[in-house]
Amino acid sequence: MNQPLSGRRVLVVEDESLVAMLLETILEDMECVPIGPASNIDDGETLARDTVELDAALLDVNVAGRQVFPVAEALKARGVPFVFSTGYGEGGLPDEWRGSPTIQKPFTEAAVRDALLKAMGVAEV
Amino acid sequence: MTELLTQGASIADLATAFAASPNPYLLLTPDLRIFDVNQAYLDVTRSHRPDLLGRPLFQAFDSGPGQEAPENVRQVRASLEKARDTRQRDHLALVRYSLPRRLDGCREVFEERIWSATHTPLLDAEGEVVLLLQHTMDITDLFPAAPPDEPTTALDAIVGGSVLRRAQSVQEDNRRLEKERNRLVEMFMQAPGFVAILSGPDHCFQMYNAAYGQLIGHRDIAGKPIREALPELAGQGYYEFLDSVFATGEAYEGRESLAQLQRRPGAPLENHYLDFIYQPIRDEAGQVVGIFVQGHDVTENVLAARRQKSMIDELNHRVKNTLATVQSIAIQTARSHRDPSTFAQAFQARILALSHTHDLLTRTHWEGADLRAILEHETEAFGPTRFHLNGPAVALAPATALSLGMIFHELATNASKYGALSTPHGRVLVDWGVADQTAPKLKLSWRELDGPKVTPPDTRGFGSRLIERNIRHDLAGEIDLVYGKDGLIAELMVPLDRTPAL
Repeated sequence: MNQPLSGRRVLVVEDESLVAMLLETILEDMECVPIGPASNIDDGETLARDTVELDAALLDVNVAGRQVFPVAEALKARGVPFVFSTGYGEGGLPDEWRGSPTIQKPFTEAAVRDALLKAMGVAEV
Repeated sequence: MTELLTQGASIADLATAFAASPNPYLLLTPDLRIFDVNQAYLDVTRSHRPDLLGRPLFQAFDSGPGQEAPENVRQVRASLEKARDTRQRDHLALVRYSLPRRLDGCREVFEERIWSATHTPLLDAEGEVVLLLQHTMDITDLFPAAPPDEPTTALDAIVGGSVLRRAQSVQEDNRRLEKERNRLVEMFMQAPGFVAILSGPDHCFQMYNAAYGQLIGHRDIAGKPIREALPELAGQGYYEFLDSVFATGEAYEGRESLAQLQRRPGAPLENHYLDFIYQPIRDEAGQVVGIFVQGHDVTENVLAARRQKSMIDELNHRVKNTLATVQSIAIQTARSHRDPSTFAQAFQARILALSHTHDLLTRTHWEGADLRAILEHETEAFGPTRFHLNGPAVALAPATALSLGMIFHELATNASKYGALSTPHGRVLVDWGVADQTAPKLKLSWRELDGPKVTPPDTRGFGSRLIERNIRHDLAGEIDLVYGKDGLIAELMVPLDRTPAL
């Protein structure tokens, strides 16, 4: 089957290792290269800024009690598209981030792929 | 007299005039004790100065044992209190009051007299009441004795020409109106919601009730314009709403409106949420002259609703995260178990391990769990002789407890399939301790003894990946797995004081 995201390098920020492992498995099945995963905001920001080749990111909104938006800012500054993952759905995002591609936990491979495609499509406009 | 005092007349002049006046005068302290009395008063009440000074007025004069006495006392007291509380002179045109009269030097009877009294508050420079002056006259003799069966209609009174009778009836009407008014004021003052009356374009506090005083921290705001009385409200919109109601004559209603109040000097601002309405008060010509403020402090309701929303959000977050965790366990377990029956067994065992730790945490209301209790939970299925648990009590935060619960489950499962627990005599020694008291770290070793010889697996299964990832990723700890000739040795180190923000 055609894998439209083959070879894309995708940063994962997620504090729960089991959920991170699930995302990595899903990304690997789509032939993406997972970067990270970062389990906290500081590591996430470092990876978002310093990873040379970065095509997209999957960002858990609530990372160990902190919100992921500093990482989103760093990615936005570089023009790297991202997808929020959250238990709250899009309604849980503050106004300024509303409208960003979002996946709800628990997620399917199709949902992750569609959200990444949407995010990258939006970024190419 | 008030004017004289404030204009600075000599005290001595006043004292002389007071003592020598033919008018009966009594001076009372604001708590209605007798402060001074002149000779005319002593004469008219047939009393002696030493018997009166310093005594509460209504002990010195109690109107006797008659049935009417309590009502007589009440009327005089009400007039005095009104003069004191309103700082305005009050007239009591007509009041019955009984005085004792000694008949023969020892027997005492009470005789009802009719009085007219004026009560005047004496104020100091700050406008506070210092004393109350009672000027009273015995007017009993002006009353014609009325036959007991005389009709007492208003017409009779007027036709009968008895001015005093009319005065009495007016007095009676006033008393009823006063009672009515007092009941309204009482309701106003005791209303559970806050109420205030502001007057003029600067919104000066004319009146406010107990609930309003409570809301603003019992500050002295009487008579002050709102910008001076409640200065911390600047920039919060309230002055402007009042200005607009005053200018347009249109009421303003606020719902769950945030007011930041400084309820004590120097204290930080407190958030209060208010439901309120500003209603214009108009004079006869329809001109807005003031604003009626009423409302409720709904802070508790607003905060309770927010707490509930945040709890539901948090619950939703946790449930969805847990579902994602279970989803992950299912997908990854499925990859290493092609056979549906072994998949179901392994998947179920992992979910139950997660559930056990949840149970332990629920017992402490999610404050934490003890390390030994978690180990016992995960190892009890293998019987008491196979495991040797040795270490102090260690309180684990919920996230750490959940991770270690899963890790011990994977280690025990691995031992029963490939390690020491796969043979009849194999044992597992678990020793732990806490090192470094300033930044406490849990050091734990899991040593398998008397088992088959073990070798590192060719491919790392979900179990060992889960262990390593959990320790490094979720707990920011370290783990070392050594495949010794006697069995597996796992040495792990986990920081215990990680705050959730890290």
